[in-house]
Amino acid sequence: MKTDFIRKPLQLPEEQWIQSQLAVDGGPSIIPEDVRKTNFPIITKEDVIQMFVSIQQDGESVVEEFQEAYRTYVGANYAIATSSGTSSLHLALVGAGIQPGDEVIVPAFTFIATAQAVVAAKAIPIFVDIDPVTYCLDPAKAEQAITRKTKAIMPVHVHGLPADLPALRRVTDKHSLRLIEDASHAHSASINGKLAGSIGDAAGQSLMADKNFPVGGEGGIAFFREKEDHQRALAFLESSGIDYRMSWIAAAFGISQLERLPYYDAIRARNAAYLTSALAETKLFSGPFVPEDYNHSYNMYRIKLSPEQLGLGDLEDYRVKHAVEQLIHAEGVFAREWQNVPIPGHLPFKNKRGFGNGYPFSLSERQDFGYDLNHFPETLKMLRSTLTICRELRSPIEYERIQAYALAFKKIDANPHKIRELVERSGDLKVVYERDARLG
Amino acid sequence: MAETLLKPEAAIEKEHYFSTSFVLSRVLNSGVIMSIEKNDHELKGLEKVIAKLTNTKYVSLFNSFTGAVHGALWGQDFDYGSTARLDQASEQERKFTKWLGVNLVSDPLAEQAYTLISVDGNNLHLLDQTVRASADLSPVFVLDFTGLGFGPVAAIAANDEQIWKKAERLKIFGAYDLQTMWTQEESAPELQPAIQFNYRLSPLVAACVKISLLRRKKSS
Repeated sequence: MKTDFIRKPLQLPEEQWIQSQLAVDGGPSIIPEDVRKTNFPIITKEDVIQMFVSIQQDGESVVEEFQEAYRTYVGANYAIATSSGTSSLHLALVGAGIQPGDEVIVPAFTFIATAQAVVAAKAIPIFVDIDPVTYCLDPAKAEQAITRKTKAIMPVHVHGLPADLPALRRVTDKHSLRLIEDASHAHSASINGKLAGSIGDAAGQSLMADKNFPVGGEGGIAFFREKEDHQRALAFLESSGIDYRMSWIAAAFGISQLERLPYYDAIRARNAAYLTSALAETKLFSGPFVPEDYNHSYNMYRIKLSPEQLGLGDLEDYRVKHAVEQLIHAEGVFAREWQNVPIPGHLPFKNKRGFGNGYPFSLSERQDFGYDLNHFPETLKMLRSTLTICRELRSPIEYERIQAYALAFKKIDANPHKIRELVERSGDLKVVYERDARLG
Repeated sequence: MAETLLKPEAAIEKEHYFSTSFVLSRVLNSGVIMSIEKNDHELKGLEKVIAKLTNTKYVSLFNSFTGAVHGALWGQDFDYGSTARLDQASEQERKFTKWLGVNLVSDPLAEQAYTLISVDGNNLHLLDQTVRASADLSPVFVLDFTGLGFGPVAAIAANDEQIWKKAERLKIFGAYDLQTMWTQEESAPELQPAIQFNYRLSPLVAACVKISLLRRKKSS
């Protein structure tokens, strides 16, 4: 039987490792190859026992038990458990009354499902640039994008930091629009203690295996504030015939994992705080900004590179990023790109084929959909100069592991000459968003 | 609650509790649910079992019956505004195809869009016969395994690679998306994506269906 048990312990990290030769030059890696594995999600006996219990119950009641438990945890009024985050967003949109041909404002930086859910609702995604500090939808630019066809704004709590919902609510109230949250990264994230998913008129959230709160494999959940919207979503399922049901197996896993979510949240918050504090001691790297009264859930941790602070301001930022990526991988930390092209630059939005024959894009009177990448300078700048840690903060990892991650970044910060050398050897490297779009 | 949210009548029979529990506990502890890109052995394993069962080259998995219907239609370019022949369509199929914008016709000259086989605990032992009897009726099988009781799960099976390719392109996390995720190079630039849904099947559910198929009693 395969086991989650980590058989080999990490060495206790020591500050002098920063002075050792870089791994890319043959020195010792901060995290040796045979101890790089992190386990996520952690499966405990509670998960297995819950599965044994659920298997003897009616499948529908297992899904309902999960749905109610998580709805209560989030503090939403109504919920529908679904097969995926994409389907939950689709239901949130139709529940909020989005009709074919309506325009929905979404950020240019997100996962493609945000925008594909809008197309699934037969509406037109209108992309807007991000705030350069939080990387979430910029409320002022969102307001500028409103037309008479706009029906909703759907911000994304990207990486787990809630978008500026108070500002966006002022915009939606002013223009009589619906506010729909894409809370797929933001389990337990909050603003002033209110959890993501319960703040907007409706919300969709992914519960897939790579999320902070994973059900068994694939899943999602849609939340609604108003009974009418919840009823409209249920009526849509009935009229369209679409089967968006969550598997009871996934729900059973969610029931037991939900009990441990606050513990995992606390560990992740501890790890993120440690890393942010350590990066603040470097010149090149800095961690995410979190506004006061906001709780970031750190589904991903985006690190900003400031080459000019390390005397590398004469080099192109995306080449510095590429060099750092090579160095940090060699040290045993998998910091990488998550997204490389703004979503309007992905093929489905370049093509605008939709359901076929251009539907629903054909419902629009627009000649120019505003999908040119030059409309999103802040997103482009962010993609050129940031790296993301995806899974490494997520599991209840050992304290010595997060210390080792911090040391790896400090070691690279101590070797600007090596970054310069790699940049000078980077040849015809393309800017990130000129390569083919990667999904995640 | 809407009809589409209800579970099917067929449930796991008591004598199967242990074996299904065992499969699930093994899968839960094997790491297959950890990663979308790796460790998808259960999905590939189920695809192979279905390919062998249907004697077809290409299989694509879906997390719902309607997802598989969508894949079968999209794979053959039955998209918005087109017409397809689907004899004896169920109410759900009629609703769903209408929502997709595909018009159903009964033109006898047109080929049936797909052959539907719904599998549950009561007819599982007859599956091989059913497949053999309907092998030449259309270019695509839609196999609905939801009746086995593990939740919504279905597949399409075909010999035409293009059908499979297009169906995979319909899926977020389909074969082509996953390749691009690592290589950042389009491996099939001639195959352009359009609308995409996350029809990805949970490996946990796939593991259960695979075990059911492998352990089925065959009726000659």
